Amino acid sequence: MATNTESRQITPAGPIIEARDLSKRYGSFVALDRVSFGLRAGRIVGLIGRNGAGKTTALKAILGLTSYEGSVRVFGLDPARARNALMRDVCFIADAAVLPRWLRVEHAIDYVAGVHPRFDRKRAEAVLASTDIRRHSRIGELSKGMITQLHLTLILAINARLLVLDEPTLGLDLIYRRQFYDTLLRDYFDQERTILLTTHQVEEVENLLTDVLFIDRGQVVLDATVDELAGRFVQLNVAAGKIDAARELQPFHVRTLLGKTIMLFENRPAASFAGLGEVRTPGIADLFEAKIQAATP
Amino acid sequence: MKALLVEIRREFWEHRALWMAPLAIAVALLLAAAAFGHARLEINDRPVLQNGESPPQLYQYVLFGSALPLFLAAAILASAYLLDCLYAERRDRSILFWRSMPVSDARAVLVKLAVGLLIVPLGTYALAALTSVLVSAILVVRNHGLVIGGASALSWNVLPWLQLQGELLYGLIAALLWYAPFAAYLLLVSVWARRSPYAWAFIPPVLLVIFERLEFGTHYVGQILDRSLTELLHLAFRFDAPAFSASAGTGAAPDAAVNVQFSGGADLPALTPLHLLADPRLLCGLLAAVFMTSAAIWLRRSRDEA
Repeated sequence: MATNTESRQITPAGPIIEARDLSKRYGSFVALDRVSFGLRAGRIVGLIGRNGAGKTTALKAILGLTSYEGSVRVFGLDPARARNALMRDVCFIADAAVLPRWLRVEHAIDYVAGVHPRFDRKRAEAVLASTDIRRHSRIGELSKGMITQLHLTLILAINARLLVLDEPTLGLDLIYRRQFYDTLLRDYFDQERTILLTTHQVEEVENLLTDVLFIDRGQVVLDATVDELAGRFVQLNVAAGKIDAARELQPFHVRTLLGKTIMLFENRPAASFAGLGEVRTPGIADLFEAKIQAATP
Repeated sequence: MKALLVEIRREFWEHRALWMAPLAIAVALLLAAAAFGHARLEINDRPVLQNGESPPQLYQYVLFGSALPLFLAAAILASAYLLDCLYAERRDRSILFWRSMPVSDARAVLVKLAVGLLIVPLGTYALAALTSVLVSAILVVRNHGLVIGGASALSWNVLPWLQLQGELLYGLIAALLWYAPFAAYLLLVSVWARRSPYAWAFIPPVLLVIFERLEFGTHYVGQILDRSLTELLHLAFRFDAPAFSASAGTGAAPDAAVNVQFSGGADLPALTPLHLLADPRLLCGLLAAVFMTSAAIWLRRSRDEA
């Protein structure tokens, strides 16, 4: 149960999520290994990693859905102890398949309206009326895209401060995926709300994100704002005959594409690349791939 | 309160048999009353009742007999529900949706226990009481009461009806207390089993009985289980002389008269609540129920389902 004292611990200026030395093991498998990170309010953070990297485990720790070692605070609360109170401020979509197939759409609205004090029923009804979803339908009768639409409608009608999305568009076609993110930006995001999402489809979200958190084999390999990336990372499309000179600047990743050599550098002054080729800021997908490969022994 | 009500309704949305089956049985009883309200019970071609009496005891037994299918159905449905409810939400992964709402695990588990142990039985009791009134009304309208062998056995009689409802309610409350550990056990199996909760609930006790019999040649476990399930009747009630005694002619005397006699007095079994409450097994059972329910809450909270 949230107390007033607990509520007053929330400090908008500080991180709304703070993890310190977060560790989680499944038998001998280390899912998270002393991970530390912080998230501020009003951001859209992409938690990006390969399968089994530890993304979902980190989300579950944040949501109080799994036990862990270390410390996690969300809005100043311990998610493992105060999940119930936390769920008033936090919404999450694990994936579209978790809405029960036997539930009718109207009952889903009734249920959330009944148990969630911050649910705006009128808003949900209005959004639902603009879709093809019928109120009397059972969820099992809806397409996967419609189920996701319904789930998002329910969640967006909750006045929550943190939205956690774990591969929310997995299995959806391109149209639904785009609609999903459009709706998210249009109807949910503002400067006080925060979105934390994981996805495999990095290209689809890279224009949305304000922050990235790359995670690999249970460890954070990059924690930065998107604005910081431009000053910190450089992608050099190496000019012919300049490969050796470019290598002397110690790129952390090198690849060849259609006969061109592309190198990525971290924390190198822009002047260093003069005359070595075309310089640009790497995309998040390219950076992710490079960081993960660089971290792989 | 609003949240609690919607949490309870949600259980009936998912497990529709909990309300549909008893309702169907009640409707069937009403139809049966309308269709077969005139029964002629005979032994050796002679009517069981010959003297036109309308004993309240028979009225109560007929009502009790009509309520029995409802209570049996409710017991089976509630057991199946308790065994399935916490397993089903993990099987379809909807637990991740339910747990995304501000409803604590303790509350979620306790609501399910309350539905299986309190709401379904008490709802069935109310339905049975209503059904008995309607059955009586149908019989009165149809032929001035259920006529058995020439005697009007079931005409509306408020005092015996109230007496029976009182006994049923007492028996129901006694059963809720006595069978609480069984309900909690089913709930615990439901949250614990990764698959086949029915098998996990029933096969281990059966194997234990067989193992004891084969290995030690004893049958203590079987006796304990048997008494746990059946002894409530003897703890909660005292059965005096039977309300009815009947004798019929044998084959050697085919024309012998059939006699049905009424003993009079307290025909429904006497209530012995102090006897039940003083039995240490009741307290042990309730403590076990608390322990198993706590374990079910802990398992739901701590289990990693994603």
